[in-house]
Amino acid sequence: MIVRFFAHLKDVTGCDAAEVRVAMPVTGDELWELLLKQHPALANHRANVRMAQNWEYADATTRFADGDEVALIPPVSGG
Amino acid sequence: MKIEIELTHSPIVPGFAPAPNGGQGAVVEFSGVVRGEEHGKPISALEYEAYPEMAEHQIRRLLDSLALRHTCLAARVVHRLGIVPVGQLAIYLGVAARHRAEGIALLAEFMDRLKQDVPIWKRRALAIPPLMPLSDGSSKAPATIPRKALSLDAAMAEIQSRCVALPGVRRPLADCVGHVLRENVIAPGDWPAFDCSTRDGYAVRVDDPGPEYQVVDTIHAAGWKPRQLQLGEAVRVATGAAMPCRGLRVVMQEHVERRGDRVHRVTMEEARNIRLQGEEKKAGETLLAPGTRLRSGALALLATAGCARPLVSPRLRVAHFTIGDELVAPDQTPGPGQVRDSNSMLLRGLLQGFPHDLEQVRLPEDLGAAWIALASCEVGRADVILISGGASVGDKDFTRELLERLGFEISFAQVNVRPGKPLIFGVQGSRVAFGLPGNPLAHWVCFHFAVAMALARLTGGSVPRFLPGRMAVRLEDAPVPRETLWPARLEISDGAWLIRPLPWASSGDVTCLAEADVLLRKPANTGTLEAGLAVEFLPAEARLGRLF
Repeated sequence: MIVRFFAHLKDVTGCDAAEVRVAMPVTGDELWELLLKQHPALANHRANVRMAQNWEYADATTRFADGDEVALIPPVSGG
Repeated sequence: MKIEIELTHSPIVPGFAPAPNGGQGAVVEFSGVVRGEEHGKPISALEYEAYPEMAEHQIRRLLDSLALRHTCLAARVVHRLGIVPVGQLAIYLGVAARHRAEGIALLAEFMDRLKQDVPIWKRRALAIPPLMPLSDGSSKAPATIPRKALSLDAAMAEIQSRCVALPGVRRPLADCVGHVLRENVIAPGDWPAFDCSTRDGYAVRVDDPGPEYQVVDTIHAAGWKPRQLQLGEAVRVATGAAMPCRGLRVVMQEHVERRGDRVHRVTMEEARNIRLQGEEKKAGETLLAPGTRLRSGALALLATAGCARPLVSPRLRVAHFTIGDELVAPDQTPGPGQVRDSNSMLLRGLLQGFPHDLEQVRLPEDLGAAWIALASCEVGRADVILISGGASVGDKDFTRELLERLGFEISFAQVNVRPGKPLIFGVQGSRVAFGLPGNPLAHWVCFHFAVAMALARLTGGSVPRFLPGRMAVRLEDAPVPRETLWPARLEISDGAWLIRPLPWASSGDVTCLAEADVLLRKPANTGTLEAGLAVEFLPAEARLGRLF
């Protein structure tokens, strides 16, 4: 699956997306662990970042699978 | 509820069309404006970023859920993205409702929720850049800028003379593909370094008539065993093997019969089958001269010579800015009056012939905002600045003023060529800048006669030049007072270069670009060109490597 980064997370990771391969659906925490292997610097931001799956905010029950469009959403500041 | 959502890089046009059925009793509007300060510091602009698909989805979801509690008829939400100068709208929200209370309630709640859940970010606040004085008060009087259009030859000569080669750098050979060699590379020793066999066979003395030989030794490709051969002696050698001594030839194994340690030559052959020491190059001879563009063969030669870190042209740092509020990205669907940005892709492709690092940025179509954006980019580092004017910019003074503010001296601002007349060329020390007319075909033409000339000079390589060819077919065209660089295809027939012009109607044409590989030069005030007529052409990108 593709995990997209926005705002300052692009600066933190140096890119705007990461590809994560999972053999079966994983929890948000599991996905975080996989992401941190690729981008350890994200760890400092984890507490303030929400995950989104296919344009909806994820919750504790969300399972992420291959083919999902996932995004890390740092605190927003539009308007 | 009828919902209209727009995320745009263009200035927001506020407003809300009343619903046709007349059911609404209130239209409530809100405009969010960029303030001139952020965290107590004066700023010139804010830059917004969005996760557009999700932002649109979340806005729609939010409006739908709010409408369950505050019955409204229609809503329009526009959020600006990119750089938004102080005083301009960042967001517009209009709501139509039966009564004002519902509209006001929905609007207020929507704005609160937007700031919590809609993935749009203030990316950064831009400080107020120091404004460089324009040419009015300085010593560089604007009157020195030629108002008259230069001829094509004069423009090319001007670029050639104003661009100087950037200092060379030593790079690992593996990273030198496409770079221009900036030193003379000489053969460090004789090539080949020793007489070696070009065949599997038997080395014998050139003065030995044979045909009977005693095999006294065997030499494989990697080994070398010095030995003075006597008449009647032979040494078994493999292809590439070093000869045991000078003055030998190799009898191919197919031409002998071997019995035990004796061979008998059955066929007489003229060939010596040996590459002689220094046959290819003698020690100290030039292998490659400065100015050589390093392609596969030249790289292989440098590898052979042990030149592991040659002195070559540096990677060019190129900044490309696109102006034009009408432009949308290739993956977006253009709205009314909008077009997809093809120039960014076109330039990206054209630049491939020159090793470079490219930064591409969209500029707002507003001089103040564009200047802020330019000044806050790292253009200070770029060797080459390219500005693509959007078609709607029209007035070339926009690009010109930007370049002047960046400290460029404008060398010329018009060339008597079709298409591509409003081409701007500026110089600042060793840096160069071009303002390219917005249309793709004009971009393509200007790149080949102007930008490629500058890039070739900066790298120290050979420059584009016109080559002789003949018209493959008749080209019917009215005489025009400007020279035309006409997109065409090159064909080769009976050893001659034939030029087949491609159809194009306006400088906005893109279709012919997919096929074109040369630019046919059609002189000014010349009408139809007959088939077979001697003409000149400029090789395009696809043929750059081969023809210049």
